[in-house]
Amino acid sequence: MLNKVVHSVCRLMVLLAVLTVWNGCARLQQAAETVARSTGNEQVAHMIQGGGTLMRGLLPIGYEEEQSIGAAISLQVVARYGGVIEAPALTRYVNLVGGSVALTCDRPEIPYYFAVLNHDSINAFAAPAGYVFVTKGLLAHIQNEAELAAVLGHEIAHVTQKHILEVIQRNKALSGVAQAGLAYADQDPAAFQGVIDGAVKKLLDEGLDRDKETEADILGTVFARRVGYDPTAYLGLLQRLRTLKGDDQAFFKTHPNFSDRIDALQREGQEREWKTTGVVVQDRFDTYRRGL
Amino acid sequence: MTRRQRRFLYHMTLLWVLVLGVTVAAAETLYVQGRSAVLRDGKTSLDPVVTRLQHGQDLTLLKKEGDWLEVRTEGGKTGWIYRTKVTSTKPEGGGNSLLEAMGKSLREGEASAVTASAGARGLDKTSEAYADRVGITQQHRDEVDRMTGYQIPDQEIEQFLREGRLGEYAQ
Repeated sequence: MLNKVVHSVCRLMVLLAVLTVWNGCARLQQAAETVARSTGNEQVAHMIQGGGTLMRGLLPIGYEEEQSIGAAISLQVVARYGGVIEAPALTRYVNLVGGSVALTCDRPEIPYYFAVLNHDSINAFAAPAGYVFVTKGLLAHIQNEAELAAVLGHEIAHVTQKHILEVIQRNKALSGVAQAGLAYADQDPAAFQGVIDGAVKKLLDEGLDRDKETEADILGTVFARRVGYDPTAYLGLLQRLRTLKGDDQAFFKTHPNFSDRIDALQREGQEREWKTTGVVVQDRFDTYRRGL
Repeated sequence: MTRRQRRFLYHMTLLWVLVLGVTVAAAETLYVQGRSAVLRDGKTSLDPVVTRLQHGQDLTLLKKEGDWLEVRTEGGKTGWIYRTKVTSTKPEGGGNSLLEAMGKSLREGEASAVTASAGARGLDKTSEAYADRVGITQQHRDEVDRMTGYQIPDQEIEQFLREGRLGEYAQ
């Protein structure tokens, strides 16, 4: 107990020290920049400013910035996948199931938004800052509320683990966008567009890395299980989709093949001792899906 | 006080300190996971709420009975919580909080366009500018806008869970 307290105090002191030094550096940088400017060394001032900007650009993306990025990516998702369907009862139901999972997820402090895309393909997407989409085509293959909860949980996990933001950080570095925050969006809209388009290409055309999809499968099931849904329900959906589509990635190109996903999930289930509980909330699901 | 009595008192004090130490060392700390967890007066979802708990809050485990755990908060309140609402590992955010704190501190001067829209419904200046640039239709902008405006209160979600007899509402 005492060790824990000492450990916490030490961590706090280290954090404060690092923040103080960092802020001190920022002030020092500003002061150096001002001196360089006032003495007529515009080029030196520019270099000092550039160094600070580069440092800030390497820091993780903050939530405010994430909201703008998430909205921009969502616009592309909606535009390319036939828009959002207008079915108030179904929309409310998907938001209730998704909201239930979001309440139990590992990043419950931000709002999550759920919508059904008017597209017959079998797919689901997440954009940063809590935007979650499921296609009409995938909904048609989901057979109960527990499966839907796990699908939405999978997408929520991409948000909690900031998978797309990692791609964006990489794209920013590759495109030479060193500015922090959204300064570059106003100063250089073409650079911002390049960063967003790169993320959209990865999300909609190429797919995220296999380990990120596997992590989302596992966490999606973990989150849905916390709500109370049967943790084996999602396996049932993946197995049906494998039978329907096979392992040909051309059909489901933005995710790894079904057999690999099923194997990874089964291994995790054995380790965590997931048991079939039969809690799939069938009747309610059947009632709402008629809205499709 | 005789020498014998003093010795007895000394040994009793030593034993008490030892027992207390073992008890403290053995107390298991749990953490609240997710939002809207509550501490209840008894082991059913129908029992009155003692207090509402915060994501990541520390709890000391006192007893386990079936799917319910009796816990004590740091403030000294005791009650029952459903097992899926807690975890034995401290929940962390999705990223590096230290680096994010630095980033936020350093970005304060540049984020006026962002902070103005933070928490507001719908598209902000940056995403609108992006939509203009890539030619997103007004209909699709409205759809994303409506999506972000659609928020269901936590109480309605709890009611939904109750109706579905999910989690702590299963009994």
